[in-house]
Amino acid sequence: MTPDTREHDIIHAFVELSNELVDGYDVVDLLSEWTVNCARLLDVAAAGLLLVDGRGLLHLVAASSEATRHLDVFQLQRDQGPCLDCFHTGTAVSVPDLAAESDRWPDFARVAESVGFASLHAVPMRLRDTVLGTFGLFGTTPGALNDDDLALAQALVHVASVALVNERSASDRHVVSTQLQHALTSRVVLEQAKGVLAAVGDLEMEDAFAVLRRYARDRGEKLTVVAAQVVNRELAGQELIDHARSTSVLR
Amino acid sequence: MAMSLEDMRVELGAAMTSAQPGLQAANALCQACVEWLGVDGAAISMIHDGFSHGTFGASSESSRRVDEFQFTFGQGPCLDAAAAQQMVLAPDLDSPDEIRWPAFAGAVLGDGVRAVFAMPISITSICVGALDLFRADPGPLSDDHLAGGLLAADLASLPLLDLIASTKGSHVDDEDPWVQLGQLDRLEVYQATGMLISQLDVDATEALVRLRAHAIATNGTASQVAIAIIQRSLVLERDHDHRRSR
Repeated sequence: MTPDTREHDIIHAFVELSNELVDGYDVVDLLSEWTVNCARLLDVAAAGLLLVDGRGLLHLVAASSEATRHLDVFQLQRDQGPCLDCFHTGTAVSVPDLAAESDRWPDFARVAESVGFASLHAVPMRLRDTVLGTFGLFGTTPGALNDDDLALAQALVHVASVALVNERSASDRHVVSTQLQHALTSRVVLEQAKGVLAAVGDLEMEDAFAVLRRYARDRGEKLTVVAAQVVNRELAGQELIDHARSTSVLR
Repeated sequence: MAMSLEDMRVELGAAMTSAQPGLQAANALCQACVEWLGVDGAAISMIHDGFSHGTFGASSESSRRVDEFQFTFGQGPCLDAAAAQQMVLAPDLDSPDEIRWPAFAGAVLGDGVRAVFAMPISITSICVGALDLFRADPGPLSDDHLAGGLLAADLASLPLLDLIASTKGSHVDDEDPWVQLGQLDRLEVYQATGMLISQLDVDATEALVRLRAHAIATNGTASQVAIAIIQRSLVLERDHDHRRSR
């Protein structure tokens, strides 16, 4: 990426996020798009955001890749891995060469390497004294992010935290946890909807996500609303699949 | 005496593990709430479409009676908590500003309850009931006790799932309830639940109950069953517990 286009892309990423915040948005859709932008800007293979639930467990809320094998690498870090360490300490964790540190996180390193990840950076998402979650950036080759890139990653995470937690309520711990829970529950419904579509159309989960998003965008509806309608059987999965076929999202 | 959230988590979980699954576990959890959360009574209600509504577990007969007023009058904090999937706090039912549930408030004040705190009981995205905490004195619940109440509400989803499953002849094991919850709260379980919604033509709660019942019956984890469903190596039959593999 040349410096000019990169600067343009960075501005675009911030502007897009701020426009969405004003317009009324779907938090999972917004964060999914945001992770894709972050992965491109920071030149990493995959990026994912984990948030903490009321029990103190990390859950994936958005990722730049919907491939199940990638989602698994994020989910695994509920139990072990750089993102979990980043969450506990509230500070960034850099792992330029995962293979060299496989003793530290044996289960995590094995799975991450098996899907082709060689390096990882985890950046905390904080709100004053509270750590809300962690943002993980994966590379397919060993190497560290430079200081500018790490600073940019941290800035992008700060902006995204605004999408999650309304600033006015940020001092109330229960309101904050309710807002995080909303995002996490939305993600659960999304996964359930992917399952419904996978069964109806005999699809891979990754394709099911694309079908859902295509339908929501073309109808001008929020992703989570459409997902909930599919899960509650108010909207037939076949209708979404037919729509995807007519728009060439599916063959 | 301040108690850490981690200690509360352990105590609440231990109370359930030492009881028989189902109603006894629900009662034990409510009694643990009284012991650890600075309240005088607790009750677990089942509130879910397609199944009978009402009070399930309680810390005592008087708490059960107070909780049942909500179903008698068709109003109350637990119904609102379940409908909105958010906690509903009523620190003083006798305050002139408290106008949300006049019939319910009148009845429970007569029974000596001034404050009610209701937490939705959710599992994955599904709300199956509410946990009510009752106190004789007015005033807010402390932050720590509120957080403990949310932990208890998480645990309460297990006896409620057992209750739904028992109508189908399922049974449960005596594993650590936190471990059981952790096994259900996973990406592959959400996705497999979605597949079952379509394959079995059931709602999300029923789909989760069926997945869990199969895990218990085959001595596997919910995650293993979910992966088999996603990979299409396991298909659950539409009717009850008959299964086939292919």
